[in-house]
Amino acid sequence: MSHATPGRVSLDPRFAPPFPEAALIMLRNPQLRKNVGHAIDVIQAKRGKLVVEKTDWQELRSAASAIRFHVLDNLGAYLEQFEARCTAAGGHVHWAADAAQARQIILDLLRQENATEVIKIKTMTSAEIQLNPFLQASGVNVYETDLAEIILQLGDEDPSHIVVPALHINRSQVREIFARTMGLNNLSDDPKELTNAARTYLRQKFLTVPTAISGANFLVAETGTVAVVESEGNGRMCLTLPQTMISLVGIEKVLPRFQDLEVMLQLLARSATGERMNPYTSLWTGVTPGDGPQKFHVVLLDNGRSSILAKEKERQTLKCIRCAACMNACPVYRQTGGHAYGSVYPGPIGAILTPQLMQMKYAQTLPFASSLCGACYEVCPVKINIPEVLLELRSQVVNQERKQAGRVFDLMYLGLRIANLIFATAWGFHAAQRMGRIGLRFFTRKDGWIHSLPSLGAKWTQTRDLRGLPQQTFHQWWATRAKEGK
Amino acid sequence: MKQPVESRQLILDRIHAATPAAAGDASQLADAYAALPRTYIRRSSLSTSARIKLMIHRLREYDAEVVESTPADLPAAITAQLAASGRHLFVAPPGTPNKWMVTSARKITGLKWTIDHGLPIGEIEKAEGVVTAATCGIADSGTIVLHHSATEGRRVLTLLPDYYLCILRASQIVETLPEYFSRCQQPPALATYISGPSATADIEMTRIKGVHGPRILVVIVVRDDK
Repeated sequence: MSHATPGRVSLDPRFAPPFPEAALIMLRNPQLRKNVGHAIDVIQAKRGKLVVEKTDWQELRSAASAIRFHVLDNLGAYLEQFEARCTAAGGHVHWAADAAQARQIILDLLRQENATEVIKIKTMTSAEIQLNPFLQASGVNVYETDLAEIILQLGDEDPSHIVVPALHINRSQVREIFARTMGLNNLSDDPKELTNAARTYLRQKFLTVPTAISGANFLVAETGTVAVVESEGNGRMCLTLPQTMISLVGIEKVLPRFQDLEVMLQLLARSATGERMNPYTSLWTGVTPGDGPQKFHVVLLDNGRSSILAKEKERQTLKCIRCAACMNACPVYRQTGGHAYGSVYPGPIGAILTPQLMQMKYAQTLPFASSLCGACYEVCPVKINIPEVLLELRSQVVNQERKQAGRVFDLMYLGLRIANLIFATAWGFHAAQRMGRIGLRFFTRKDGWIHSLPSLGAKWTQTRDLRGLPQQTFHQWWATRAKEGK
Repeated sequence: MKQPVESRQLILDRIHAATPAAAGDASQLADAYAALPRTYIRRSSLSTSARIKLMIHRLREYDAEVVESTPADLPAAITAQLAASGRHLFVAPPGTPNKWMVTSARKITGLKWTIDHGLPIGEIEKAEGVVTAATCGIADSGTIVLHHSATEGRRVLTLLPDYYLCILRASQIVETLPEYFSRCQQPPALATYISGPSATADIEMTRIKGVHGPRILVVIVVRDDK
C-alpha cells in the first residue's frame, strides 16, 4: 500500500521511510504538532490525578507484570485452555500463523455468511494485518464504528495513536471530513454536533448489518471469556445486534483466570484515558441463546509474536495491554506524533514491537527513535522495561549493519573502531583530549559553545550545540591540586 | 496456503519451543499461578454509609442522576423518575417485579410498559427508556455491573433506549473492584460494566456524553442496608 498524498507516510513498515526522515516531515507540520500536543496534555493531566489517588498503584503494577509474565511462560497451556472453554461455550477458535492467513480466515468466514457488509469495533490488530483494504478489495464493505475510526475512514487518514487514533485531527478538520462525506453542509465544528452526526450515520448500520468484527482486550483461559473495553457503546452495539461476530486477537492477550481482570481493569482505563473505569466493558463467553450473535469466531493471531516470545530480553514486549501510556509520556512522540513511526503501533511500544513483528528486517531505525529517558517504563502499567529492549534491539541492528560488507569502510564504523583503540589506553585517551582541545578551539565561540562543525560533525551540530572542551581536564586539575598540597 | 489445523500445531510448536520454563502439568501451573504476588488492596476500608456515599458521588461525577429510596418507597421513586423523564414507552426485562411497574402505569397517563420476552430489535429501538435491576455497584469507580439475569435483561435492552433507569440496592455496593470479583464465585457468561453514560473524547479530547448507548443514566439507590 503506497500513499500518493504529499507529506503522508506509509504505516506499512515495509514501505515506510526511516524514522529520522519521516519525523522531519511531521516536524514541519505545525497544525499536527499542535493537535497532538493538546491531546497529550489533556490525557496526561487526567492520568496523573487518578494515578496519584490510587494508593496501591505500584502493587497493582507488580501484580499485573507478574501475571503477564506467568502467562507468557505458559502461553501454550493457557491458549489451549481458552480454546477448549470457548469451544465448549459454542464459539469457534481459528489459528492464524501470519497476517495473510488471518485475512483469509476472516474473508472465508464472511463468505460463508454471504456478507457484503461488516461493522467493526476499533481493533489495532486488524490494522496490523491491513484487514480493511483487503476486505474492500474482496468486495466486502467495511464500516468502522468507533468515532475516531470513522473520522479516519471517511477522511482517508491513518491512525496516529493506539487509543485515540485520530488525535492528530482537530475539530474543524473533522467538520470538513463529515461535511464532505456525509453531505452535511450546515454542520458546525462543535464536537457535540459532530458526535451526533456520527451517531445518526451509524444507527442504521448497527440495526441492519448482520456481521461484525472486533479485537479483544483480554481473553480469559479459565472461562473462555472475551473482554472488550470501550467508551462509546459502538462496541456493545456490534457485540449484541449482529448475528455473527468475529474477534481477531493476538495470541499474547490471554489471562489465566477471570479474577485477573480485577488487576488489569484497574490499570487499563487509568493508564489509557485517565478514567477510573471506561464507560463500557463487555464480557462474553461463546454464544448465549437469545442474547447477541449466535455465531462466534475467535481468530488467534501469531504474526511474529511467537518469535518475540523466544527471546529472553524482548519477551516482555508481549506483556503490553495497549494502553498507550508510553506514547503519551514520550518526549519524542509528543514532537513527531504517531505517523513518523511508519507503523500502526507508534511511540515507545511501537519502537520495540514493530521491528520485532517484522523479524528485524524492517523498521530498524525505530529502536533509535528514543532519548532513553525512561518515562515510558515509569508509566507502563505492566512494567515493560522499554529502554532495556530498545538497547537490546539497537545492538542487534548495529550487529546486522556491521556484517554488511560495505560497512567496513563506513565512516561512522571506522570512527568507532578508531575510538575503541584510542579509549583502550590511558595515554591514548589523554593524547586524544589534547588534540581535541587544539582541534576544536578553532570552532569554539566566545560563549564556550560549538555551534557548527564541518562534515560528519555537522550531523551532531545541525540540531544541537556542543559544549567546547574545557582548558583543563579533571585529571589535570586533580594532579595540580595534589602538587599544591591541598 | 496452510490449512488452519496445521497452523494451530505450527503456532503451538513455536510457543512450546519458545517457553522451556513452562509448567509441566496442570498442578504445577496452578502452583505457579498461586505464587503470583497480589499485594494490592482487595478489601473495603470505608463504612457502609461512606461506601454508598462514594458510589453516589462517583455516579454524579459521570453526570448520572442519582436518588435514594427505601424498599417500601421504591415503586413511588420509580414513578417519580419516569414522570420527570417526560417519556412514555418503557421496556423492562422479563424478571422485573410487577410492583415496580403497576404504580407508574396507574399514575402516569399514557405510560406503557413492554416486557422483553424476545422482542424484535425494532421494538426495543422504539422504546424511549428502560428500567432494570443490577448485580453489583463498585463505589471506587462508580461502576454498575450487569450479569444479564432475568431482572437485568439481555444486553441489547440496556443499550438501545436513550434513557436508562437502573435500580441498585445498597447491599449490592462494594468499595473496590477486587471485592466484586471475590463475590463472583461462578464467573458470569455475560457481563457488562457500566461507568457513566456512553461517552467519547475522540474530538480534541472534549468529553461528549451519549454516542451510541443511553444518553441519560438515572440510578435509584435502594437503602436496604438500614
